[in-house]
This record gives sequence, C-alpha cells and structure tokens, in this order.
Amino acid sequence: MGMWFAGGTDETEKLDRQATGKVLRRTLARIRPYRAQAMRACALLVLFAMTSLAGPLLVRRAIDQGLTVGDRNVLNQSIVAYVAVAVLAYGSYRLAIATLARVGESFLRDLRTGVFGRMLQQSMPFYDRENTGVLVSRMTSDIDSLQVLVQLGLLMFVTATLLLVASVVTLIVLDPLLLVLCMMTMPFVALASIKFHRESNRAYLAVRERIGTTLSSLQEGISGVRVVQAFAREDIQIDRFAETNKGLYQTHMRSVKIGAFYLPVVELAGALSTALAVGLGGWMVRDGRMTLGTVAAFILILQTMFGPMQQLSQLFNMIQSAGASLHKLYGLLDEPLTIDSAPDAKDLPASGHVDIDNVSFEYIPGEQVLSGVSLTIDEGERIAFVGPTGAGKSTVAKLVARFYDPVDGAIRIGGVDLRDVRTDSLRRHIVVVPQEGFLFAGTVADNIRLAKPDATDADIRTALDRIGVLDLFERLPQGLDTEVQERGSRLSAGEKQLVSLARAALVDPKVLILDEATSSVDPGTEAIVEVAMESLMEGRTVIAIAHRLSTAERCDRVGVVVDGRLVELGPHDELVAADGHYTELFAAWTRGLAA
Amino acid sequence: MSDRPLELIALGSVARRENENLTTAALTADEREATRAGWKLLWTSIKEERRFIMYGQIVSVGWSIGRIAIPVLVQQGIDRGIEKDGSLVVWTLLIVAAGVLSSLCLGLRRYVAFRNGRVIESRLRDRVFAHIQRLHFSFHDANATGDLMSRANTDLQNFQDVITMIPLTTGQFVLVAGAVIVMFLTHPVLALLALATLPLVNVLGRRFAQKLHPSIMGVQRESAQLATVVEETIAGVRVVKGFGAEGVRAEALRIEAEDLRHESLTASLVRSRYLPAMEIAPNLGLIAVLAYGGHLVLEGDLTVGTLISFNIYVMLLIQPLRSMGMTVANAQRAAAAGVRISQLLAVEPRIASPERPLTLPTENPLGQVEFSSVAFAYPGHEDEPVLHDLTLTIQAGESVALVGATGSGKTTLASLLPRFYDVDAGSIELDGIDVRQLDPQALRRAVSIVFEETFLFQATVFENIAFGDPDASEDQVRRAARLSGAEDFIEQLPSGYQTLVGERGLSLSGGQRQRLAIARAILADPRVLILDDATSAVDPTKEHEIRDALSEAMQSRTTIVIAHRPATIALADRVVLIDHGRVVAQGTHTELLASNQRYREVLAAEVKDANATGGDR
Repeated sequence: MGMWFAGGTDETEKLDRQATGKVLRRTLARIRPYRAQAMRACALLVLFAMTSLAGPLLVRRAIDQGLTVGDRNVLNQSIVAYVAVAVLAYGSYRLAIATLARVGESFLRDLRTGVFGRMLQQSMPFYDRENTGVLVSRMTSDIDSLQVLVQLGLLMFVTATLLLVASVVTLIVLDPLLLVLCMMTMPFVALASIKFHRESNRAYLAVRERIGTTLSSLQEGISGVRVVQAFAREDIQIDRFAETNKGLYQTHMRSVKIGAFYLPVVELAGALSTALAVGLGGWMVRDGRMTLGTVAAFILILQTMFGPMQQLSQLFNMIQSAGASLHKLYGLLDEPLTIDSAPDAKDLPASGHVDIDNVSFEYIPGEQVLSGVSLTIDEGERIAFVGPTGAGKSTVAKLVARFYDPVDGAIRIGGVDLRDVRTDSLRRHIVVVPQEGFLFAGTVADNIRLAKPDATDADIRTALDRIGVLDLFERLPQGLDTEVQERGSRLSAGEKQLVSLARAALVDPKVLILDEATSSVDPGTEAIVEVAMESLMEGRTVIAIAHRLSTAERCDRVGVVVDGRLVELGPHDELVAADGHYTELFAAWTRGLAA
Repeated sequence: MSDRPLELIALGSVARRENENLTTAALTADEREATRAGWKLLWTSIKEERRFIMYGQIVSVGWSIGRIAIPVLVQQGIDRGIEKDGSLVVWTLLIVAAGVLSSLCLGLRRYVAFRNGRVIESRLRDRVFAHIQRLHFSFHDANATGDLMSRANTDLQNFQDVITMIPLTTGQFVLVAGAVIVMFLTHPVLALLALATLPLVNVLGRRFAQKLHPSIMGVQRESAQLATVVEETIAGVRVVKGFGAEGVRAEALRIEAEDLRHESLTASLVRSRYLPAMEIAPNLGLIAVLAYGGHLVLEGDLTVGTLISFNIYVMLLIQPLRSMGMTVANAQRAAAAGVRISQLLAVEPRIASPERPLTLPTENPLGQVEFSSVAFAYPGHEDEPVLHDLTLTIQAGESVALVGATGSGKTTLASLLPRFYDVDAGSIELDGIDVRQLDPQALRRAVSIVFEETFLFQATVFENIAFGDPDASEDQVRRAARLSGAEDFIEQLPSGYQTLVGERGLSLSGGQRQRLAIARAILADPRVLILDDATSAVDPTKEHEIRDALSEAMQSRTTIVIAHRPATIALADRVVLIDHGRVVAQGTHTELLASNQRYREVLAAEVKDANATGGDR
C-alpha cells in the first residue's frame, strides 16, 4: 500500500485503558450534534460490507443450483442479482464516504475552533509555561494527523473491520469445520501481526529519532556553513555528517527487515488457506458432505480476506496515534483558566485612577519578583518605571494590565479590584502597547481594527489622524488597504510601531501602558513616532516602562524599581537631586551618551 | 568588470552571476534541459546499484510466477482432483509450493527494494551535503536554508520512493502480463470479457489522482493559512492580550477552519465519486465471467475450475492495476525531485583553489595585508557597488579599527580577505601573495574571523572552541578560553566545558557567545584576526571584560576590528574611516575625533544605537 502508512505512535504517547475510554467517550460526546449522519454512515458501510460478500454466494448458488444441475434460469437469476448487488454496493459506498466525511470534517472544525478559543481565553501564565512551538503543533500537526485519519484511515478501518467480520460470519454459516481448518494458519498470522506491530512501532520511533538528528545536523551544516568555511573545516563537517547519515541508513535498514519478515507470513498464510480449501474442501465434496459451489465460495472469500487483515494491523498504528493526539487536545480544552471572570464580575469602570496597593508577585512560586509595591496614580498622570534589567519594572505594568493577578495585595482601577472585573471588559479602558509593533497578515486597516473589531474605516482614519499619521499611511501603495505581508515585512520598524499606537488610539482607553522599544528605529520615523506617542498620551493615565531616561524625563513622576521594590518615587528633577539610585542611573546614562 | 584578472575567468568564477538563486534559476533555465538532468541523475543512481537492482527484478519475477500459478493450480485441483477424482494431495501441495515461492520472493523483494532506495538516498545526501559545504558565500546569501534543506530531505525522499518502487512495479507488470497471457491461452473470449472492465480501474485511478490533486492542494493551502493564523496569534499573544483582540483572532481562525472544512469536503466528494467506482468496476468483470462462462459450462465448453480460476485472476489483478496508475505520477515526482537535486549539484563552487596554489611565506614579519584598488559589488547587485577603488595597507602585527556608518562597506572589506567573495577589480595580498593564488583552505587557516553573530554548534562548549583547531589539546583549549575571558563563565556552567550549547542546548548571552567565538579564533592562532564587533548592546557592566578579551586576542598578530563602540575603537593602533566604499580618513581615535566631522557623526549614531539598554521581563 501507499507510503502514507508510515505513521506510528510514540511508545510514551500510548494511552492506557482508562485514558482510551475517556478519549472515546469525549469523542462520542463531541460527535453528538452529527449523530444522525454518523449512524447513517455506519449503516451504509454495513450494507456495503454485505454486498461485497454477495458475489461469492451468488457464484455458489449458480454453480450448485444452476451449472451442476443444468438449470439456465437459476444462472440467469444469479447474474441479474449480481448486477443489482453491484449497483447497491456502489450507491451505498458512495453515500457512506460522503456522509462520513461530513461528520469527520465538522468534528475537526469544531475541535479546531474549540481548542483555539480555549487557548485564547488563557492568560499570560499559561503562555509563560507552555512552549509556543508545542501550542502551535497541537493546532497544526496534531489536528492534521486526525485529518488524515478522517479522510482515509477511518473509512478504511471501518470497511476493513466490517469486511472481515462479514467474511467470517459468512464462512461460519457455509461450513464451520472447513473454516476452522482453513484458518489453521490464522494464529501464526495473528502472532506475526502482534510482533510486527510492536517491532515496527519501535523501529519507527528509532527512525523518527534518527531523522530528527540527521535533519538538525543538516540544518546546522547549512546555517553554520560560513563559520565552517571561515575555519576551513569543510572536510571535518562532511565526515561528521556522513556519520550521522550512515546511522540513519542503518536504522532504516533495521526497520525494513521487520517488514521483510512479516509480509511473507501473511502471503504464505493466504496461499495455505487456499490450498486447504481446495484439498480439504475437495475431499468433503467427494465425501458428499459439501457442494462444489460451497468450496468455490470459500476459495473466493478467502482471496479477499487477507487484504483487510493486513490493512488493519497497519491502520491500528494510525488510530492509536490519533487517540494520543485527541488526548492532548482534550487536555488543552480541560486546562483551567488562571484568570477568569468571577461569577458576579462587573464591567471595568471608565476611570484613569490606578491604585496599586501593597502588591507582591512571583512568576515561579518562591521566587518573589515584586514585594509590597504601593502607589497611587491619578487620572491623567504619567508615570515611568525605571530600573535594572529583571528588577520587576515591567511586572508592575503587567499586573495593572491584568496579564497576571497579584499573589498578594490588590490593584484597583476607579476603586474596583481588577479581580472583580469581567475579563472581556478589561481592554476597553486599559491598553498595552508592546515593545515591537507586531503585525498580523492582512491589511493595515485590519491590523489597526484588531483592537476594536466593530470600528468603521472612518473610525480608523480618525484614530490615525488623532496621532497625526493619517497622511503617512495613506501614502502607502494601496493606502490603508495595503497588505502588510507575513509578519509585516513591508513596513519599517517605525511604521509598525505607529500601527501599534494607532490601535491604542482607536480604543481610546483611560489607561495606557507603554512598553518602550529597546531598539531604535530609523531616525526619520523616530521623530514621527515620538510626536504620535505624545498625542496618544494626551489626557490619559500613562504607565511607561522606560528603557531610555529621556522618556522618564518627560513623565510626571518616576518610580525606580530595584530588586522587586519601589525604592524611589517622585518627579525626575527631584530624584536626580536626591543622590539615590536614580541619580546614579542618570549619571551612567548621560555618560553613555557623551562617550 | 573589464579589468578582471584573466586567471579568474580561467577559474570559471564568472559563471552565471545573476542566477545565483536556485529558485529563480529554475524558472529561467531551459526546462527540458533541467528535466533531462533530473532523469539522468535517476539513471546514474540506478546504474551505480546495478547488481542489487537486478536482484530486485529477479525476485519480483519470482513473486509474480508464484502468484500467477495459484489460480491455475486451483483450477486443476477442482477439475481433476474434485470433479474427476484425481489426486487432491498433489494439487494442494503444488499450491503450497507456489505460495512458498511467492512469499519468499515477496520478503526478499521488500528488503532489496528498500535497501536500494535507502542506499541511493543516503549516498546522494552525503554528496549534497558535501557540495553545500563547499559552495561559496554568495550562493548561501542567495538561497534560504529552508530551500536547501528541502532539497537534501524531501526531494531525496521522493527520489528514494521511486527507486524503491522499481521492483514492485516490475512485479506488478509481470503479474498483469502473465495473468493476461494465461487467461487468453485458456479461453480468449472469456478472457476478453473478464478483462474488459479492468483497464477501467487503471483509467479511473489516474482520473481520480488528477481530480483529487487540485482539492488536495486546496486543503494544503487552507491548512497553511490556518497554521499562519495560529502561529501569528501565539507569537503575538502579548499584542492580542494587550489590545484584547482574542475575539478577532478566534474569528480569524473560525473562518480558516470553515474554509478548510469546505476544501476537505470538496476532496471527499471526489473520493466518494471515484473510490466506489474503482472498488466496483472489477465486479463487472466477475459478472461477465459468471454470465458468459456459466453458459459455456452449461454447454459443456468450460470447466467449473476454469470459471473459478478466472474469478481469482480478476481479483488478483485489481491491486496491481490500481497502483500501476500511480507509478507514472510517482516517477514524475521523482524526476521533479531529481531536477531540484541536480540543479543544486550543478552549481560550481566559485571560490576554488588554483591549480598550483602558492604557499604563504613562513618567515617574519607575518600578517601584512594589502588592499589595492579594490572594487566589489555583491552578486546580483552589480549596480550597487559596495567598494570603490579602495586601497589600504595594514602592517604585520598592527591593529586597525574600521569605522563607518551602516552600509559603508567595512564588513564587506573584511570578508574579502579570507576570500568569502572575490574582488571585482584590484587585488588583496596577504604577505605579498594575492589571496586568489592561495589554496582557500590554507588562506582561511591564516586568517580567522569572529563574526558579528556568533554561530554555536550543537555541541559542548569545549567542542565549540576546539572547532578553531580540532587537533588542539585540552590545555590549549582552556588557555584560549582564559585569554578570551570565557573561562569564568564556562566554569560556572552546569557541566563546565562539557555543557551542551547551540540551538537546543543551554542558551548563552550575546556577550558569552562572543567570548566563545573569540576563544575559537585565538585557538586557530591565525596571522590575521578579523573581529566583527556585535552592534547589539552588551550589558554595560560586562563591557570591560569583552574589551580585555579583545585586547588579549589582538596581542602579537595583525588585527582588523570592525568597531562600533568607542571602547573597542580605542584598542586599535590606527582607525580607518570608511564611507561609501572608500577610505576617507585615517589616524588615531583622538586625531580623528578632533579633525573629522564625519567621524564624529558616525560615532554619535553608533552610540545612540548602543545606548538603549537590554529588555526587562
């Protein structure tokens, strides 16, 4: 069969019985909306499996009641019946495929939107904890492996199972004794299948690991080629890669040997059962205990029985890995939300009054990042947090934005504790403008609208105009409808920041949290960014995480965070004169500028 | 270009300047020529494994013979054994014998087929990797890692698939041909009726693949779009959370999921039309056999055994006919893969050793560098020359800082000395010898470079330093680490020198990585050291450590520093200001600061860049 069978499961990913049961129940529950279609698909497949066996039975009837006794009518009846069965088989199979696909694809769509929706509900601690690559792969490779199953595997699995069952039942009805005798080889095939399944799984894992090493070695060889050439080490690298590549080859060959032992067993078992049907069946016919037609039907059914058996052992891997994928996806769906709306939560009041009350915080339990920070920010006040890397200055801002909840103490906006606020109302009045202007695929307008999905084009223009950059964006090739391309490669770093500022302007929040960019942008745009920033801050409460002291200089007050404590707080000039941390920071900074 | 030295042209270095990028080259190259190259690669690969390919063919034929024999033996068993009271045992045993032959050959075929595929794949992958390692810098500038990866991986796998399919295809072909011959010899008319519908399976198979292809592409396209939404959202989760855009992104995904479902259902519709037809078509043959054959039996013109054997033959032929439809498509895919691989192999390494390379003088003073009237433009950007008529002499043992604005050409100038690129005009001499007359390997052992971005291999710290000189003793490696100021932090790493670094290893800070790179270069003990100082801000408290490391590394050898920070500039004996690809001023840092306005401007810009301190959590 095709190469797409090369799937397999991770030994460690295998589910125990309990987990399997849970996955099954969960899956059935999720299929419930499509239950009627699912049942119809199954019924159609049962019908199809039955039609597949009608052929040999009609041949039997034609031989026994037509050919051997010379009855032309029976023969003709059998032929007509055969044609009818073929038509029925076509119709039922065709409908079954279409129906099954509809159920499967709807299930996948629901799973995709469900899992992704749940991910989006999660707050920052979740994203800090989970590896982003893993999250992406849950939504892509894990669901894609289910897709392959839905498109092909499931159909083949169900059909093969039904065919096998139907064949055995038919043969039992025809002659149980002959069936038992013909199936004498069966235990060997079963044993071989189990062994093959286990071994090939192991081999597959080994191959997969080797492919991983080879690919990473290949990638390293290509991306490090300049260093390799700079030190004239090409030969060493080539030898080293050849070694890795050889390892891959050897692992492949070990896996090939397993298949080379298994396939002949099945092939031989097929031939043996045919031989036994001819020999023993013939002997029974001669004995008068069986008709020639029955032997013929036996032989014909046996020809089609070994195919499904072989398929099943291969499909089993696929089903198992699908189970493992589902288990992981359901795990994500069940992941509790760390930041959630309380049952009696209310909307965030439209206020710019921020009260940080004796707040402590730790990202990792036991490693305190903030301790006992207290500070009140008045409506319309601008405050900058400064301090060494890792001291916690951005953590303060993140708590105000409710990316995290404080471990101790409280943050109140307009007098309301953030934990009593409905999470979906937060961003109407508090907006975080991150360091780099991150763009999503789509147009400039789409990117700005991100912050307020129901904004009209006019709203967007107004927002851009408010920060004085409408002209700049209208000058783009397609104006606001210019595609920004993947990850915004067409806009400059400064323009991306402007998009980010425009998003904030569109929301028109009471509290603005600015995470200042560390890297500077092109000098031309830099000036525009500064002007836009200034007009955006106008009339709002601003909390700036400042990396440049020139920014701090422009704020009403400066808070110096050192080792998780707010050690100094006051206007820039006062702090410079106070001969404390800030004085030192400022001196170092001005020295840096002058050097 | 007219004044390019003749020997360069002789070296073939002017080949295909604008077609550096493989993907664009593929578009412009003569397609038929390329296809021929792909098939040729396939053919030579097969020829190299002639013997085992032969074995594969032999066992395939054996398998087919066993399979073809069984229906004949069944027929004989029924007609002679059952109906005529002949010996049942003989026919039973003969069927067993045929089964043994076919299954033995099947096992061998599987082994040989995959062995051939993997041997050829493995050998080609070695070749491709070695080739990539030897290709010049400008080639790598023009080709993305991902593209090269896919040639050395996906394309090779497609190629391997087809090699593996060879014995299988042969077996199926022989099986079909043999069965058809046996059937026609037995009863031509019945054979014709039985087989009439079978080509339909093949035709349907091919049509199916054709019809399915656009939908499969559609599904892949939609999957990719969905993946983009997921990747973007997760990468930009801070933005999503910061602006409360969860709903917008969920909606974006919902649309993609709906599109994907729609495309997948389109594909399923194609499947639902063709799969049942392919499944049922052989039944028409079976019906015909029963109808015509049954009447023949009634007339006494055919035995029941033959009727049954025809039934078995029809069943036997379904699978081969179905997959033979795919063989052509597979072969085409392999040829396409072959084209892409052979394209890569056809690129000539542009920086090659001359036939009779000169050797560098070994007596002191060592490390004198002379750039004379150097002009250079990057391949593909000939209209934007980077260096013009640049002349600069660096004395043995001298340290020179190259200073200039971004894009002034200072990094380019430094990368011409180790011949990462060849000059378009003028020449570069190391200790009096034109670098193009040296073996590049020897040249690069004499000139070491510390790149702006440090590349660390997926290996231990020790191995990463020892990369500079694989023969170095442990003491020498430790000494290099000490001189570069890396020793202190290395000893604090979890496993010291044995700590795994690189992409999946422990992540080191920019400054730490840079010190490892310096250690690597010190260990190589070159006569000329080129340091491309990182522009990205280094933690100010660590700056002096790097400065100490640099000054240690600069001891007793010619050093060219591409400097951004006043602190690094101060280490050099002489400062050379480069602007728009020319040397515009030279002197000490203090002299230039006092006398040159442009120098002050360039420095001011650099300082501004460097002064934004690192991020925060």
